[in-house]
Amino acid sequence: MMSLKIFFSLSILISCLISSEQLYENLSSNQIERLNYLSDNIRCPKCSYGNISSSNAPISKDLKNEIALLIEQGFTNEEIFQKMQDRYGSYILLNSIEDEKMPIYLIPLIALIISIFAVTTYTIKKSK
Amino acid sequence: MKKFFAFSFFGFLVAFVYFFSITLSTPRLPNVNLQDGKTIPILIESVDLDGNTINHEALANGPILLNVWASWCIACLVEHPFLTEISANKELTLIGINYKDNLENAKKYLEKNGNPYDLSIFDYQGNYALKLGVTGAPETFLIIDGKIVKHRIGEINEKIWNDEFKNFF
Repeated sequence: MMSLKIFFSLSILISCLISSEQLYENLSSNQIERLNYLSDNIRCPKCSYGNISSSNAPISKDLKNEIALLIEQGFTNEEIFQKMQDRYGSYILLNSIEDEKMPIYLIPLIALIISIFAVTTYTIKKSK
Repeated sequence: MKKFFAFSFFGFLVAFVYFFSITLSTPRLPNVNLQDGKTIPILIESVDLDGNTINHEALANGPILLNVWASWCIACLVEHPFLTEISANKELTLIGINYKDNLENAKKYLEKNGNPYDLSIFDYQGNYALKLGVTGAPETFLIIDGKIVKHRIGEINEKIWNDEFKNFF
């Protein structure tokens, strides 16, 4: 029974590996690594969160295929990021913070600093 | 000092309610950039739903309303009656992009609901839509002489038409 389980698990694993290789058979292992890096760092434009490698939206699959094609045509990672940004805006880049969204990150920090200052002042004054 | 804390707490509470109400009252904009101002990509080797070849010239001249639709798209069905109404406007050419659809299903959809489009580009793999910056269906582009002047993600209706599109005519 146990060996049967192992056999089925291995069959599924091997078939997954073969099918993923077949999808981008024109790419070398180095190019597939680049494709994975780019897909991990490009956001799915149709979803609220998540990158295109983890999304099942049709647009994510299309973008991944387009990136594979661009890698094959000799585009660098920076050029591909730029192409995506030109089309969809900086929202598409997972590691970017837009200037207009900076207050979202800064307001809690400023509130924390003010709170620490207020509590410290209050504690010092009270101890005197 | 207690007064200071009471005022601070009250101040934070007011600010919180104020920002929360602003957030709720602001319409949610799409996160991705719209394609307004861009030139439409060249349409190569495309066919309509009957298999007739479509040239890029079909999109290059005059005001064109380019609507991305599919038979599997529920929101497309919702905007369909309004598109039928719009198609009565003779100043405008209404062109559809049938996006990632089955040809038979697409034809049945138009037979059942009426065909408001002057022609529909059959984009089975979504290649042209991808170049255009489409993220899904439905989406609508107002193109004037080859340039996108208005891009809308999501369905269009009379209110959206009057607010966002009508001033271009």
